Amino acid sequence: MSFDLEPGSALLVVGPSGSGKSTLALALAGLIPNEIPATVSGQLALDGREIRELGPVGVAARVGLVLQDPSAQLVMDRVEDDVAFGLENRAWAPSAMRDRVPDALAGVGLGGLERRRSRRLSGGQQQRLALAGALAPRPGLLILDEPTANLDPGGTAALMAALTELHGSRTTTIVLIEHRVDQAWPLADLILALDADGQQLDAGPPAAVAARSGARMAAAGTWLPTALERELAGSRPLTESAAGSLGAGGPSGSDGTSRPGTPIRGAEVVRATDLRFAFELGRPVVRDVSLAATEGERIALVGANGSGKSTLGRLLVGLLRPDRGTVTLDGADPARLAAADLARRAGYVFQDPERQFLAERVEDEVTLGLTPAEVARVPELMSRLSLPLDRFGERSPYRLSGGEQRRLSLACILIRRPRVLVLDEPTFGQDRNGYTSLLEILREHLDQGACLIAATHDERFVRDVADRAIELDEGWVFSDGPVDQWAPAVSGATGEPAAPAESARS
Amino acid sequence: MITARLEPSDSQLDSLLGRASPLVKLGISLAWLVGLAITLEPRPPLALATIAFAAGITVGGIRPRILLGAVAPLWLAAVGIGTFNALFSVSNVDPAAAELLRLGPIRLTIEGVTNGVALALRVVAIGCVGAVFALTTDPTRLTDSLVQQGRMPARFAYGALAAYGAIPRFGEDLATLRQARRIRGLGGSWHPRLLVGLLVLAIRHGDRMALSMDARAFGSGPRTRYREVRWQLLDLALAVVSAVLLAAALWLGVAR
Repeated sequence: MSFDLEPGSALLVVGPSGSGKSTLALALAGLIPNEIPATVSGQLALDGREIRELGPVGVAARVGLVLQDPSAQLVMDRVEDDVAFGLENRAWAPSAMRDRVPDALAGVGLGGLERRRSRRLSGGQQQRLALAGALAPRPGLLILDEPTANLDPGGTAALMAALTELHGSRTTTIVLIEHRVDQAWPLADLILALDADGQQLDAGPPAAVAARSGARMAAAGTWLPTALERELAGSRPLTESAAGSLGAGGPSGSDGTSRPGTPIRGAEVVRATDLRFAFELGRPVVRDVSLAATEGERIALVGANGSGKSTLGRLLVGLLRPDRGTVTLDGADPARLAAADLARRAGYVFQDPERQFLAERVEDEVTLGLTPAEVARVPELMSRLSLPLDRFGERSPYRLSGGEQRRLSLACILIRRPRVLVLDEPTFGQDRNGYTSLLEILREHLDQGACLIAATHDERFVRDVADRAIELDEGWVFSDGPVDQWAPAVSGATGEPAAPAESARS
Repeated sequence: MITARLEPSDSQLDSLLGRASPLVKLGISLAWLVGLAITLEPRPPLALATIAFAAGITVGGIRPRILLGAVAPLWLAAVGIGTFNALFSVSNVDPAAAELLRLGPIRLTIEGVTNGVALALRVVAIGCVGAVFALTTDPTRLTDSLVQQGRMPARFAYGALAAYGAIPRFGEDLATLRQARRIRGLGGSWHPRLLVGLLVLAIRHGDRMALSMDARAFGSGPRTRYREVRWQLLDLALAVVSAVLLAAALWLGVAR
């Protein structure tokens, strides 16, 4: 690939999973090949000087880097110390640091939080703290690798607002890597589009790239802004064709509020009554939640980070025991079921794929604990999820890309075809192709009468799959109703929840 | 979670002990622990536990309930160790030892009970000293102090600080791995594979931390200090007072 960036401009790098976007980020930040051994050819220059020549010190003096996981970027206990960390390492004078730290924090909307503990901030605040830390030394180049992947809509909006302001000042060149481009597209002066093999598909101003290569980018698996997706599909959302096939699954709902194609409601499979749950020494994360779900229902659990979605999901399948209230799953208390019995009735996919892997090889991971009949279905499912066993079977689950890890963790549960399926951020890190195949597989399973409960920030997924949306706020049910009456603006407008970092992750 | 229980509050950090040099406090704590280890009498640990507790709730700004709660897990251990040693002390079979009680084959002696009480008090004293140190010391300031006053290499010290901050993660990792096993139909609450998973996750998290620290120019050359830690008169006073108190407590053990 070849591109040239003017000082102060913003480059958006887009491409399907595994196209080498993160590798490019690490190369630009001088971490490849300076810290991570790699074979590199071609030229990569900063301010006219070759990156290898600059060495780690020279690059670090010019570049700021923000990565996906906020918790892996915070070094110090206190907010101000964390911002100062990069300045100390660059040997700034103490008086200059004392001036710069509050400025950098104010620049990302965290003014006044200097003395707070960084681990007590919400995920969105932590990510803006990481941004302040990267910007404090006034780098000429700022690289962000999927900075909003772990954030809720409020956190995403706040981070993008800070980036927009930075871009307006034209002081720093921005390289932004994103999967979901609705918010990033308007910021970009240049788009660099990659294909699945990491080859450059196109590079240029957004409008020109969209006009020239929009269709090819979409075919390669790259997401485009929603408006462009509609245009491409002839005013039809990308996934409507897939949604149409749903109609075959069952007749329309009779209550008038269900989406066309929703199967008739079946028997009740999950019921929660007055659930309350708190982690040790914490305030309750789930408060007085009651809900019932039936066969064939597709429920989206929405709400800000830390609103209790993941905890509620784990309570519903008996992975956590409520402090108060009861859960029944198929008439039994799921927390008291033997593991084998529970696994037959319910499936749960955790938010962070890495934390649920239990084997060293992909094939062992996906076949773990399966019956022979289920094992026989594995190759087909894995191929459909673009993880064919002949290519991926021997690999380590930990060595896959984030999007591949997500699909593997889903495969481990989907292969069992549980009646109750609870998914935490199922579309995380998925490109267009991954998303489409995931949707198809999910729908086939749901059409058999399974019940889906999905905790998600992905508005597209809510619209494409769910028929009912339950919004949580600080552990309470804020709203519960048909998805077409749900207004996502609520969760987007809440801005920053004052949630502790632990619950932002759970 | 033990880390939450031992997290210092702002008022504790602003107290007299909170403002003292963490390095000096660490030195005092270690000296007291050595002192506790070399005496077998009950009076020195009783004195040191009392002094540490009193210092904690006065010049340490710790509320008594918080301090008691922090030491609480050790009470049980202290009672267990004390009882065990009183029951199975070698003095109990020594005919010269003063008999206190005889229940069938069990003979309790004054020497044995004294020994048990001393050991129990030692555990409590260690707990009090450690809790007062932890509850008045900010991890970041401890690291600053170790680097600036103790000349510890920055790369090691701040790496250790980042690792310390990741401790709560291990608990979450373990909980998630166990739940992941359960939902896959694998019974039992413990399995060796969990250790492998924990190790892999810890290493990967460490790798990511190291990468982002490197990206922030860590270890690229000489560093400056955002927060200068300076020696104060308070540190000297604290060191002298605690040395005198330690000597007095140990003297209680040899005086008749």
